[in-house]
Amino acid sequence: MKPAFFLALALLAQPAQAETLAIVHAKAWTMTADAPVENATIVARDGRIVSVTAGGAVPAGARVIDAAGRPVTPGLVNAATQLGLVEVSGARETNDQSVASGALGAAFDVQYGLNPNSTLIAQARADGVTEAMVYPGSSAGAPFSGRGALIHLAEDGDILDRPQAALFAVVGGGSAGKVGGSRAAQWLLLRNALDEARAPQTIDPRERLLGRLDRAGLAPVLDRRIPLVIAAERESDIRQALDLARDYAIRIVILGGAEAWRVKAELAARRVPVILDPMLNLPLGFDQLGARLDNAALLGAAGVPIAFTVPGFGIHLSYNAGSALREGAGIAAANGLPYAAALRAITRGAAEVWGADDRQGSIAAGRTADLVIWDGDPLEPSSGPALVLIGGKPVGATRQTELRDRYRPGREHPLPPAYR
Amino acid sequence: MRGDMKESGIIRRVTLALAVAALVASPVAAKKKEKHAPPVLADPWPSTYRPLPRTDMLIVGATVLDGAGGRLEGDVLVRDGRIAAIGRDLDRTGAAVVDGRGKWLTPGIIDVHSHNGTFVVPLTSVDDHASDVTEISDPNVADTWIEHAINPQDVAFTRALSGGVTTLQVLPGSTPLIGGRSVVLKTVPATTMQGMKFPGAPQGLKMACGENPKGHFGEAGRAPNSRQGELALLRAAFSAAQDYTPHRGGKGKPPRRDLKLETLAAVLAGDIRVQMHCYRADDMAVMLGLAREFGFRIAAFHHAVEAYKIPALLREAGTCAAVWPDWWGFKMEAADGIRENAAFVDAAGACAMMHSDSPQIGQRLTIEAAKAAGAGRRAGLSLPPETIIGWVTRNPAKALGLETSIGTIAPGYNADLVLWSGDPFSIYSHADRVYVDGALVYDRADPAYRPRADFELGRPQVAPR
Repeated sequence: MKPAFFLALALLAQPAQAETLAIVHAKAWTMTADAPVENATIVARDGRIVSVTAGGAVPAGARVIDAAGRPVTPGLVNAATQLGLVEVSGARETNDQSVASGALGAAFDVQYGLNPNSTLIAQARADGVTEAMVYPGSSAGAPFSGRGALIHLAEDGDILDRPQAALFAVVGGGSAGKVGGSRAAQWLLLRNALDEARAPQTIDPRERLLGRLDRAGLAPVLDRRIPLVIAAERESDIRQALDLARDYAIRIVILGGAEAWRVKAELAARRVPVILDPMLNLPLGFDQLGARLDNAALLGAAGVPIAFTVPGFGIHLSYNAGSALREGAGIAAANGLPYAAALRAITRGAAEVWGADDRQGSIAAGRTADLVIWDGDPLEPSSGPALVLIGGKPVGATRQTELRDRYRPGREHPLPPAYR
Repeated sequence: MRGDMKESGIIRRVTLALAVAALVASPVAAKKKEKHAPPVLADPWPSTYRPLPRTDMLIVGATVLDGAGGRLEGDVLVRDGRIAAIGRDLDRTGAAVVDGRGKWLTPGIIDVHSHNGTFVVPLTSVDDHASDVTEISDPNVADTWIEHAINPQDVAFTRALSGGVTTLQVLPGSTPLIGGRSVVLKTVPATTMQGMKFPGAPQGLKMACGENPKGHFGEAGRAPNSRQGELALLRAAFSAAQDYTPHRGGKGKPPRRDLKLETLAAVLAGDIRVQMHCYRADDMAVMLGLAREFGFRIAAFHHAVEAYKIPALLREAGTCAAVWPDWWGFKMEAADGIRENAAFVDAAGACAMMHSDSPQIGQRLTIEAAKAAGAGRRAGLSLPPETIIGWVTRNPAKALGLETSIGTIAPGYNADLVLWSGDPFSIYSHADRVYVDGALVYDRADPAYRPRADFELGRPQVAPR
């Protein structure tokens, strides 16, 4: 750990313009193969990967970081968080993830609420997250929650990578109250919304349930530019979602999917991705009675594209968007998912779900030089990043690291902590 | 929402009143009453726990973390449900040999902060305004005992067992200032609370400070609605308990029984251990002052996200910090949580431990310790496995007042043991076998020893055993 750490300090002192970077002696998990490249040299120029080769030469003039045999992965991609929308979840005014009342349903769009200065974003970045889907919480306009945005966790203040990257809806027992008390009504409303958005002129304006903005929000789903993400846990709802996708020829993603293992063949055949919680083995609600820790393993083995989200009772979701994501992948690996597949689910797999794999999720020529050098196995929760690079540049401190340094034991101070 | 709560509360009171009336009218109940010992001394709900069938055994060849700081490669002999000896060439007469080679052996994991059996999954709307986690009708519900609400069929108990947890303390929640008495349970499945109750374990008293009590009662237009109001209420309650105390067992006519004061008086007498929910360092310092004023000890601060700011205060008070490695930020008083919390408390010579507060974390306390220790190591501290196992065994035993019977592998201790497939702090390791009082209660390789709650039966979507 020490060499990389000191080199990181050296890097921080350098001007941040065009430069060539070489990480040497890396155990490089490129995510383009199921095994790492040992003794790899990763070369990046101007924030993009140029090459990754075993024992490769260091280009002249390159700044060198010695990984000393440690694992190097692409930056983590969290497939579903509320980073940038939540600060202190218990303090209402610091939350922008959902609308509890008002007219917006499908039209709600989180991009306008993102806060790049959130301490949660700094923490996620320091924990190795470089890309994330930020999705809306369930809203007054049920079953639609609104549109999510992909963010890139760069430190320059511009985190919005792709707005309106997906439309989110919620169905199931916990949310049906908003539409009168039955999930059947949720499915009817979803179908009606797609009908109205597809051909509003065929429906008498007085009978329309959707406003102009919500119809517009659905248009890119109908023409398959973005997926409709359906948060559903129960087997019957996952089957309904598959029927909906077939009937309207739309792309869907399942979020949650506690019982998705019971629909694995159909999901695999239709290539429908599932973003699941790998820590879930308790039925927190009746929709999750089939929750089990080998859900990821069963889906993965069946060929279902998978990625992870780790709600952790609402705390891990955004507060530990990097560390809990790794822990979840570790749990999946401990319960039958092959190691490389577990690592893939939090890097390239998640990038593919959101169509960001051209720049994120793997170490390959042309990808953004978002890289993490780990001080141990990245799927072990006791490990941590030795160095996180975004666009080839090391990321900075967090509130937690500053508090840690202020209260670090073993040093006597004549003045109170506020002076440290 | 308030209307719903009120209505639902009325229904509950009516139901409760009916149940009490039926009991009083019963001749059996009336007869029993005559035979009762004096009410203050008796435990009307004594443990009926009996160890499962067991034989003496010798666990050979495992890497042993004894919970008290030791790590050794040796054999562990268990006789009559207790640790008999540790070492080599032990007398194995009559003992079944358990092959521990390549595995790790630790004391049973202890969770000092669980809501299992009251935060029963699946959560349903039935509990929306009437959850058994906490009685929240008053800021002082010292007269409530959480053991009266435990549903042993909560699947979270068996999940905790599969994660190596052998003992857990169920606490009420943190909405009231004084939340009621805790209960210590073994994770050995039973059909009643009494069947799980840890024989002889002291009760705890859950108390809370900071945002939760003032937030709830303040919003309801009641006291307390400030931190200072919380302290005023607590001081009044303990003052009354001081006045109540002299009558206990003394001469003259005993005072009219007051179940709240009875609990607080037992705290002042040192019979009930205080388990205090606090986040901020300044809150904890104020509560230590309250404890000094009334002469009781706080066994542990729970959550204690700022314990790292005041480790010396905790050390001097003999108060432990029961913490998460990584829950932070979700409310104002949790804003300063850092992952090094436990490590910094430990480094100062104070008592640190992990706790769960969630049925999910309650299955993975060794991984919680691994995360906390990882952060500590990155901050330059030496935290080998033999040290941090104490964060989930010996130190929680201390907080429960059970440090002479559980939490350590040493002669005379209860044979609560976990045989792990590997390093218990690795995400890839599993609890292969769990023993309580020397009896096998969980075996990952044997479906017959993977208990299931009644709730899980007859549901096609539940994963097969």
